[in-house]
Amino acid sequence: MYRIKQNPLVRKIGFNRIVLCLVLLVMYGFFALFAKNFVSYNRLLSAMNYAYFLGFLSLGVTFVIATGGIDFSIGPVMFCSAIMSGYLLTHYKWPLWICLIASVAIGALYGTLNGYLVAYRDVPSFITSMAIMQMSKGVASVFTKAQTVSWPQLAEENGWYRNLIKVKAGNTYIPVGLIILLVAAIICSIILNKTKAGRYFLSIGSNKEAVRLSGVNVKKWQMLAYVICGLMAGIAAIFFVAAYTTVQPGYGDQYNNEAIAGCVMGGTSMAGGLASISGTFIGVMIISILQEGILAIGLNKNYQLVITGLIVIAAVYLDVMARRRKY
Amino acid sequence: MGDLILTMKGIDKTFPGVHALNNVDFELYKGEVHALMGENGAGKSTLMKVLTGIYKKDKGTITYEGKVVEFSNPREAQQAGIVMVHQELNFLGHLTVAQNIFIGREYMKGRRIDDARMIEEAAKLFQRMRINIDPTEKMSNLTVGKQQMCEIAKAISHDAKIIIFDEPTAALTETEVEELFEIIRELKKKDIGIIYITHRMDEIKVITDRVSVMRDGAYVGTLISKDSTKNDIINMMVGRVIYEEPKTESKVPKDAPVVLKVENLNAGRFVQNVSFELRKGEILGFAGLMGSGRTETARAIFGADPKESGDIYVNGVKVEINSPQDAVRHGIGYLSEDRKRYGIVVQRTVSENSTMACLENFMNGIFINKKKENKETEKYVESLAIKTPSVDQMVIDLSGGNQQKVVLTKWLIKNCDILIFDEPTRGIDVGAKSDIYKLMNVLVKEGKSIIMISSELPEILRMSDRIVVMCEGRKSGELSIEEATQEKIMHLATMEI
Repeated sequence: MYRIKQNPLVRKIGFNRIVLCLVLLVMYGFFALFAKNFVSYNRLLSAMNYAYFLGFLSLGVTFVIATGGIDFSIGPVMFCSAIMSGYLLTHYKWPLWICLIASVAIGALYGTLNGYLVAYRDVPSFITSMAIMQMSKGVASVFTKAQTVSWPQLAEENGWYRNLIKVKAGNTYIPVGLIILLVAAIICSIILNKTKAGRYFLSIGSNKEAVRLSGVNVKKWQMLAYVICGLMAGIAAIFFVAAYTTVQPGYGDQYNNEAIAGCVMGGTSMAGGLASISGTFIGVMIISILQEGILAIGLNKNYQLVITGLIVIAAVYLDVMARRRKY
Repeated sequence: MGDLILTMKGIDKTFPGVHALNNVDFELYKGEVHALMGENGAGKSTLMKVLTGIYKKDKGTITYEGKVVEFSNPREAQQAGIVMVHQELNFLGHLTVAQNIFIGREYMKGRRIDDARMIEEAAKLFQRMRINIDPTEKMSNLTVGKQQMCEIAKAISHDAKIIIFDEPTAALTETEVEELFEIIRELKKKDIGIIYITHRMDEIKVITDRVSVMRDGAYVGTLISKDSTKNDIINMMVGRVIYEEPKTESKVPKDAPVVLKVENLNAGRFVQNVSFELRKGEILGFAGLMGSGRTETARAIFGADPKESGDIYVNGVKVEINSPQDAVRHGIGYLSEDRKRYGIVVQRTVSENSTMACLENFMNGIFINKKKENKETEKYVESLAIKTPSVDQMVIDLSGGNQQKVVLTKWLIKNCDILIFDEPTRGIDVGAKSDIYKLMNVLVKEGKSIIMISSELPEILRMSDRIVVMCEGRKSGELSIEEATQEKIMHLATMEI
């Protein structure tokens, strides 16, 4: 085991990520064997629909977890963004592009509020994000008088936004969403590993006090992580409606857990200080294939919750074990 | 001295990239106090961790009470009678002393915990040790010294046959040290073998019977304490002779410009009306007992803790310092006494820690210029002799002295003109200590100014140009190096104001 880990190539890619890729492949193989018609391009596209919005949520929350915090509001915030901007579009007839910007802005606003409370008012992120989770659900319901919002279909007026996930080209589709998500992941990875912000996020997660005593404005950087996270939830909202069009107020909680599960599986430590964007990306793919596979096999969504829970426990357990051996 | 109780022979341990222990021998008799000395990273802690089962040895044998043993965890070692009193004390502050001593093996009355019996047993234990601690007191209310006594009491209550002390006096006041030594002498009489890890030379003759020295993971030799001199031991530890005389006169001109002036600084109970001046090129020593308010003063100046009132002038200009950010902007750097909590970011690399205070100088647009960062850090790694495989090593993998040098590097790269060193050599071996002294002398020659807080009077006398003495949150006096003596400083440090 040790020798494998010390292999230069393995070290470069990361042992953890190689294991994750294997898990992904094994899982795909499993469903290919046991689910009918699982191996098809359309199935994959359908799985990707889930991966797009979840991916943005997961990438965003990776930054927050890197700083040693947590955000339990991203799912409902995503729903709130989708509902409010959709209501602006369908009820108030605002232009589509403004509604898309509004969606991102609403997410960023929640992130800013969350980050301000955590960084400048020293409220634990666990508490603030729980509060904002409830708040965003309530705000969405009040705004639409508890109605379900349906974004337009592709063929309808203002339906072009749905091309953000896939574009028809002849008999097949180009998965535009996957390209966008990949680009977003690369940008996130650059932010985390090559810029000042990322350096400070990780350092704050490891030892906030030492960073503060180095003369760094830790409050600013800590808040920025939450702003990015909220912003990504706003983008996730666009991809959610582009895939499913309909959003109902009062929901969205389960996506928190799946997004956080994606991060943790990918090797981002809940204790802060360690994070991996590529790990998060693969984690999201695992969850998405899993949910598609469960449906394909004929089980209901609840089984997916159980299995995701088990995977998270396994991932965190491995993380803890690795740490114990090291320190 | 009684019979041999412990023999470690040919112990070998390798970590990835480091040969931590190389064929080490060690033996301990019943009723012996055996000092274990060596620079940081020499392998003392590793050897003890092998003994108590935290690490598994690669080679060698451990014979304990005539039997070959191999403990697989500290609990097994404890049950066999080998107990370690750690440098960083492990206890639960919100529980009482008695609850802490009997934690994990509470006396029961049916299904309920029998607190009364535990208090009684703890009281008996303290009586036997002839120390005065109330078993019903909360652990966090005790002084560090008393907390340590409790740890020792816990060790004794385990029927320990070997007790390992890891730098027990590092955080104790002089009277507490005396009390500790009294207890150790009692333990000796009971035929308990004691392994005593320390960096303090003056303790060797006072309390130990023999001293074994390690260097770079290897066993160097063992001396009889009463026949050895300080220089013998130092030579064995570092393989070279270092000895510096105390400073007799200050070379700083009397009219050197004042770079930092503090007036009537107030910040809570520990900082009351503190005023002083720091001149260019000067090392200003801050002496005083534990809890005299030196660290609190430094933190208030640096903006790490809020201050209530008082003025700070940098180069004659009044400045507002409300956060470490402000302080760093005005060219002040602070090296904390507690580097793990306040100094280093353990999960980051040497170079990332080194550029923490001035990352803006290593930017290439919005990107960090990793090459420039590494190059600059490598310069300091070389000039400060930081022992690390590369600048990409995580700081957690370095020894204490090297971690301290990384924190120093951070402020040197930032190029601060005013440096506050809070116990810069605490828990650091003789070699690294002398490196840091040399560096401080180089820095003041370059025109930087240093405030050095230290609890070690020889260090204060060796390094300072002037000495400020604090007592109970107030400045109780100021001495020039020419007039200062240990006695005068102690007098000021203990005077009632």
